[in-house]
Amino acid sequence: MNHPTHTITKKELTVFVNHLIADKTYDVVGPKAKGKRYAYDTLENASELRLDHDVTILPPKKYFLPITETLLHYNLKKTYDIHPATDARPRIIIGMHPYDVIALQQSDHVYLDYQKDDFYQKRRANTIIIASDIENVSDRSFAASMNTHTTNDGFDLLLTHISTGYAITIGTDKGKKLLERHAITKKITPVDLKKVTDMRTRLTSKYKRTLKAPKEDWPKILAANHDHALWEEKADRCMECSSCTMVCPTCYCYDVHDATSLTLTTGDRFRTWDGCMLKDFGKIGSGEVFRKEVKERYRHRFYRKGNYLPARYDYIACVGCGRCGIACLPDIADPCDVFNDLARFGTDKDTNRYYIKRTNKPQEKGVIHIPRSATITRIQRLTIQETLYELELDDKKPLAHKPGQFVEISVLGVGEAPFCVSSAPSQTPAFEIAVRKVGSVTNKLATLSVGDKVGVRGPLGVGFDTKAYEKKDLIFTSGGIGIFPMRSLINYILAPENRPKYKHIIILYGAKKPSEVMFQNEVDQWKKVPDVQVEQTVDRCDAVDCWVGCTGLITTLFPKVPTQKLDTKNTIAVVIGPPIMYKFVIKCLQTIGITDDHIFVSLERRMKCGVAKCGHCQMNGVYVCKEGPVFNHAELKNLPEAFE
Amino acid sequence: MTKPRVAIFDFADCEGCELQIANLEEELLDLLSIIDIVSFREVMKEHSDDYDIAFIEGSIMRPQDEERLRNIRGHAKILIALGACAATGCVNTLRNQWTPDEVKKEVYGTTKLNEQLFNVGPAKAINEIIPVDYYLHGCPIDRDEFKAFVTALALGKKPETPTYPVCVECKKNENICQFELGNFCLGPITRAGCKAICPTHNSPCDGCRGILKKPETDCVKDLVTRYDLTYEDLKRRCTIFNSGKEACQ
Repeated sequence: MNHPTHTITKKELTVFVNHLIADKTYDVVGPKAKGKRYAYDTLENASELRLDHDVTILPPKKYFLPITETLLHYNLKKTYDIHPATDARPRIIIGMHPYDVIALQQSDHVYLDYQKDDFYQKRRANTIIIASDIENVSDRSFAASMNTHTTNDGFDLLLTHISTGYAITIGTDKGKKLLERHAITKKITPVDLKKVTDMRTRLTSKYKRTLKAPKEDWPKILAANHDHALWEEKADRCMECSSCTMVCPTCYCYDVHDATSLTLTTGDRFRTWDGCMLKDFGKIGSGEVFRKEVKERYRHRFYRKGNYLPARYDYIACVGCGRCGIACLPDIADPCDVFNDLARFGTDKDTNRYYIKRTNKPQEKGVIHIPRSATITRIQRLTIQETLYELELDDKKPLAHKPGQFVEISVLGVGEAPFCVSSAPSQTPAFEIAVRKVGSVTNKLATLSVGDKVGVRGPLGVGFDTKAYEKKDLIFTSGGIGIFPMRSLINYILAPENRPKYKHIIILYGAKKPSEVMFQNEVDQWKKVPDVQVEQTVDRCDAVDCWVGCTGLITTLFPKVPTQKLDTKNTIAVVIGPPIMYKFVIKCLQTIGITDDHIFVSLERRMKCGVAKCGHCQMNGVYVCKEGPVFNHAELKNLPEAFE
Repeated sequence: MTKPRVAIFDFADCEGCELQIANLEEELLDLLSIIDIVSFREVMKEHSDDYDIAFIEGSIMRPQDEERLRNIRGHAKILIALGACAATGCVNTLRNQWTPDEVKKEVYGTTKLNEQLFNVGPAKAINEIIPVDYYLHGCPIDRDEFKAFVTALALGKKPETPTYPVCVECKKNENICQFELGNFCLGPITRAGCKAICPTHNSPCDGCRGILKKPETDCVKDLVTRYDLTYEDLKRRCTIFNSGKEACQ
């Protein structure tokens, strides 16, 4: 534990800060007055620094995760020319309050966990934090209840205002050196040390807002109140402006866009703060919106703070700074109010029910958000809407994916979109993605030719655990473009070297109409593999179409499944299709005796970053891009957002 | 790549949105490197009826304007409403609360008017007459948004304009909320894309980019009560730019 060891007079502190500013090695920033409020900004002179501030409008997170930040520069006139952005100017932040220091430590978990965020990491390493104990408490803050009003670590130096000046706690060597080089200090006296202790004790009593139930109860309170009427009542007053997430020090979601110069020559891929309260946050390329209702989005924010992130990282993702309470016009965003309201409606110990723990690591270890270049080596038209692209990475390495994993494909200037890999892993070094024209990226892909370059990130996410399916009967059910990832799995399993490892195989494949049936040649090949039964259907067949097979929804194929031949208790079923299909197919599977833990599905969401950061693909506590897209149905039963 | 042929037309308006394009100044040359402008009355005398993309500025007042607009729609593959007058009717629709005769009398008194020129009906946004493919909102439009829009079209990317309120951009600018300053701001119910320019310069939002939530919506009513306003205050403020049929009613 760090204790104050030095003191500095007010005058000497001014000299110290002015030294730092004059040094020019660093950008020196701190809270400055902005009207009646405060905001972090570059300090031109120590006199601007307001260590007596109550709370700033935006948290200092803007220095680690900038509001808008360039990730890479591209040149469209050259062949796949990208350069990762660099912005690594050292910075000193003076005056960070303990709750913001703790919020930053939480961001470290998100941004340095799983795949580390190189941009964030560089800034973190280049920043010196001179924190300051809180002198004046913001009216809306409840930091004392969150135990974030003081901190023992997370800073390089910590200043505490006492009558004779400031007490200094040294947190790191970096802080110590800075102090030695630039400041005139004295060893702290026992009298001053007591002043610090007294000041911190007094601080607690300055908080007018307090929690009725301890913050540790939040996950339990939420586990019990998912369908409480409060969510709808409050959401009815929500303006959907996401001000609450914009001002939050622990919110970290972002969106990624490409901005191209007017001459269409150069451009930047940048990320900018996004908010889960905004309607388009969960919108995917096809136009479908996940978490469509305000109530769902409103609830989502509280679950992130009080249940989802606690399950994932083991901390409550709120530091009680009160900024959302100030920013929210209808005053519905304040967690202190919401949890005090909910506290009397009971708790549930099953706090991890909305989260699926996985220990997978990303295979790709490059710089985050920087795609590798790949060349289109073959294009095959599948239907009017769908096309198959064969891609080869220009570093000549195999993609090394598992069936069910996905890649992010970049068309520079247009953007990035996720696609499941459609080819089997054995088909190297090239791999295939199949694409339906729905959004900007897919429409642009449709205009590209063999030899053109695209960017590739991946393989990403968790694929099918084919090892676990060995020595079992298998039923594969796919509808529509669900055949894209399913094809990767089937071609892997039916490969001569793998087929003997599995028992009976049933393949059910449905399409809307005959013209939308894809890979018929391959399907015919599958039929020739020993002990493989393939059944196909189309939803409808117009008079002009030529179709000899079955018509009707995919579920009409289930009577053809030879259940007597299968060891249904041990049969593995894999289902991939449009959201509406899952409900019905899973019911059919359950009817023939297949248990939930033997049913696997692949889900679609707005996977943007692909590495569990940007927040767009989240369903309840799960990131589809990290924990999925392949899930076991038994795991999903507790996730109300899985099959919405 | 052949450059798309673009025409810019104006109807009843102040030409301020066209001026935003003209004010691109040296960037106009960049713009002309990706599109051919074949008609743009404010800045050039040449005109051609052979174009792919038409930008329409202004509201529609008279039968002959409707006819002209339909004719343009017939020529254009893509048609865009350029600015608030075309997109929502803007301030022009304010006069719809009176009859055309009352308006004429108020402005011109008893002077005898050329009926051919002054046969005005109610002011309309252009989508009340023809289908519109895209909207560039604002009074005036934002130049950066216009540039991003044109580059998107040229790259074959679907141009996207924000569906969220001004508050998002206002917060990103770290402004003190206008409500906190005791002002009544339409930012929470107005479409963003302006970079919150008005609140950032200490003037509350007047809603020129179009209203996202109507005053009757529960959450808006709640806001009005909470900040000691009346429904009439709100309605009046919304009326400036949003009295048109498609805007808030």
